[in-house]
Amino acid sequence: MDNRKEERSPARRRKGRFDVWTTLVWVGGGLVYLFLILPVLVIILSAFSPNAYPEFPPSELSLRWFREVADNAAWMKAIGYSLWLMVLVTLLTVVLGTTAAYGISRLEFPGKQALLSFMLSPLMIPQVVIGIALLYVFTGIGMFGTMAGLVIGHMIVAFPYVIRTVGVSLSNLDPKLERASMSLGAGPVKTFFRVTLPLIKPGIVAGGVFSAVTSFGEVSVSLFVVSPSNMTVPVRIFNYIDQTFDPSVNAISVIFIAVAVIALVIIERTIGLTKVM
Amino acid sequence: MPDSQPIKKYRYHLFSWIMLTPGLIFLGLFLLVPFVLLLVISFRDVDGFMNMLPTYSFAQYVEVFTSKFYVRMIGTTLWVALVTTAICILLAYPAAYLLVRAPGKGVRTMLYVFLVSPLLTSVVIRTFAWIVLLAQNGLVNEVLLKLHLITEPLSLLWNMKAVIIAYVQVMLPFAVLPIATSLGEIDPRLRQASMSLGAGRLRTFFRVTLPLTIPGMMSGAIIVFSLAAGSYITPLLVGGRLQPLLPLAIYQQVLQVANLPLGAAMSMTLLVLVGVLVAVMGWLLRLWEGRMNG
Amino acid sequence: MEPTTGNVYIGGRDLTGLPPYRRDIGMVFQNYALFPHLSVFDNVAYGLKIRKMSKADIARRVEECLAAVRLESFAGRMPHQLSGGQQQRVAIARALAIRPKVLLLDEPLSNLDAKLRKEMQTELRSLQRRIGITTILVTHDQEEALSLSDRIGILGEGELQQLGTPLEVYRRPANRFVAEFIGQVNLIEVKAAADADAPSGTRAFYAEWHRLASGSPLVLHAADHPSLDGKDTALFMLRPERVRLSAEPRDGAANANGAEIRVESVSYAGSTLRIAGVLPGGGELVALAGDPSFPSLPEPGRTMYAHWEPGDLIPLE
Repeated sequence: MDNRKEERSPARRRKGRFDVWTTLVWVGGGLVYLFLILPVLVIILSAFSPNAYPEFPPSELSLRWFREVADNAAWMKAIGYSLWLMVLVTLLTVVLGTTAAYGISRLEFPGKQALLSFMLSPLMIPQVVIGIALLYVFTGIGMFGTMAGLVIGHMIVAFPYVIRTVGVSLSNLDPKLERASMSLGAGPVKTFFRVTLPLIKPGIVAGGVFSAVTSFGEVSVSLFVVSPSNMTVPVRIFNYIDQTFDPSVNAISVIFIAVAVIALVIIERTIGLTKVM
Repeated sequence: MPDSQPIKKYRYHLFSWIMLTPGLIFLGLFLLVPFVLLLVISFRDVDGFMNMLPTYSFAQYVEVFTSKFYVRMIGTTLWVALVTTAICILLAYPAAYLLVRAPGKGVRTMLYVFLVSPLLTSVVIRTFAWIVLLAQNGLVNEVLLKLHLITEPLSLLWNMKAVIIAYVQVMLPFAVLPIATSLGEIDPRLRQASMSLGAGRLRTFFRVTLPLTIPGMMSGAIIVFSLAAGSYITPLLVGGRLQPLLPLAIYQQVLQVANLPLGAAMSMTLLVLVGVLVAVMGWLLRLWEGRMNG
Repeated sequence: MEPTTGNVYIGGRDLTGLPPYRRDIGMVFQNYALFPHLSVFDNVAYGLKIRKMSKADIARRVEECLAAVRLESFAGRMPHQLSGGQQQRVAIARALAIRPKVLLLDEPLSNLDAKLRKEMQTELRSLQRRIGITTILVTHDQEEALSLSDRIGILGEGELQQLGTPLEVYRRPANRFVAEFIGQVNLIEVKAAADADAPSGTRAFYAEWHRLASGSPLVLHAADHPSLDGKDTALFMLRPERVRLSAEPRDGAANANGAEIRVESVSYAGSTLRIAGVLPGGGELVALAGDPSFPSLPEPGRTMYAHWEPGDLIPLE
């Protein structure tokens, strides 16, 4: 074998590196993300536009629509109601979901997989169907149009999220830790509160955030169980879009978007998005 | 001391059952029972004024499956769901690739925010944005007019195309995330091995990368399909009231026509259709995983 | 990976700028990297399908390669059904199938347990001899390197420290790095000395750090070597297995190439006995003895006597 040591110019080395396909993929991917974010951008544009219609490029920014929302008693009432509902739903769903996720993860019995699928089913079932099933039941027991009905409806929809995130945390938990705790004399209850619960906090927090945001924006099931005295923001938006065109809807939408982004940042800062997805 | 072990185990299991029960009761009461009831009333008859009669029959189902209108509607619903799923999967690959190969944590977080924040806003809002975009005086038309590409505003809303576009945008993240996860799990040395054996980038993608992302692709497809088949808010707002989609018809029967039994029958039909297709896709997925992992 | 300087040639062909799919090198990866979704047959045939061989030719070549690694009957299995050693062999068959000029093995045996590793080492050697292909093996396992190769290249601090046969590398290491890297070693720094008692053919040295009970330095008579000409100081390597230990001092021993040591640690590995000790005036010495050199294992604190031959002292750069 020869020992030539000629130095070739780096440019020749690069010849094999440029790849049409890779560039296409990057451009394509970028376009897809643009497509994803486009509606959100449009809404933000509209919300800050002084006119009823969005302009591109924007001529000036104004907070006119935000002020209109703030002045509108009906909107503010709906926002307050939605927030209160969200708090209730989140608390209840997190408690119920965490305990259920823990229970099923620590047990083995025939049909466990089926039960798990059942608990996750609201994700797959068309929300129309959930809506009308609840409508029928609530009407029958006189709960139609009540806040309790809405709470239950939202809980059904949010439940699988908590099961999933807490389930992920639970499966990442080393079972030896609980065994160690019990070998030191702590019973199952103490072990749960002192060892398990602190360690599955990421899953609980993520589940809580998803519950909250899901409840805040829930409309498909809510449409079947609301009443004029128990009105949520998304349902109100739906009615509005259906009938009139009120640009203050843009302002409300921006609030929603802001809430979503904040929620994501909270998740990312506390536990990291990749751990939950 | 030796006695305490079995007792502890028993108490452990008791505790786990106690934990599981409240959630079970809740779901049983408010998910299972309503469904059983829904199934029951799908067999009830209605009179001319849409009152429920105490008699039972298959009348509602007969109406669903014999009426040409409804049968076509079922077909359209499935077709739209299929098209949406196909487009989502296709677009998800470049997006997932970007997510996995993102240069740096900041870019990746930004992409995640782009991907997930639409999911966390309400579907009404996402759909509403499309109205703003596609309306006669909406942004798309405004831009096209300004660029003098058209002389009159296009009618982009109130048709099935708009519905599918809105569907894709709403459901795309559900396809991107599982595919990105699958992509990320592929051993990078497989790619190197393929190339060392002589396969170029494109061939490596189709022969090695793509087959190995099938689990993620199928999971994404299942989610998108069931979402698309069951959506009614989006077609209502963007497609106009007249789109022949099953969930839309259910909404109308229940909230407008007040024919609950027919709505129930259509719901059951929708459930079964989606359930069967999802089960088939799930079964195919398990077959593939069995072949790969034993 | 991009080279910073220089070029890579195989058979006169410059590969430096080529992408991996054009280099024609057969590569076997550390974790085998078998395609999990393809059968054994399809894995081995992968490179052949790319080259658009006919179905019949592919079948023949795959059968050949699987026979070479003795896995003929496994063609229909999936990777997850194979053991580690079997997967390794499939990976080799796959790399060989494309008839590369060079076979590259990247730590192929490091994932296997000790027994399987020994078996696979023998297999690899006989396989390579049978097929006669130039093979480059990368490993951290010295024993593996010494036993499998015709030539060894030792890399350290970003440079090739020595390239030679296993015998050369072990018995005459090029420098201190290589001496310390391969096997165990005693390093003795010395100053040149004049000694009338030095036998012909040897040179005398005083050790810097190894001293006898009296405090005077250990005297070394090393076999003469041109590299020692005109040098005032030197570094000698003494392999522990060349250090003879005895319980009693030798009769009629010269006052060089030997010392009394106090045993510090004893390590018995079945076939060998490793004894580390210190000279009374300072300096460590390690000896490796075969079993059974002593009826019972020496204990720490005991006094023993070490000696070696002039030819056992190897000068290092």
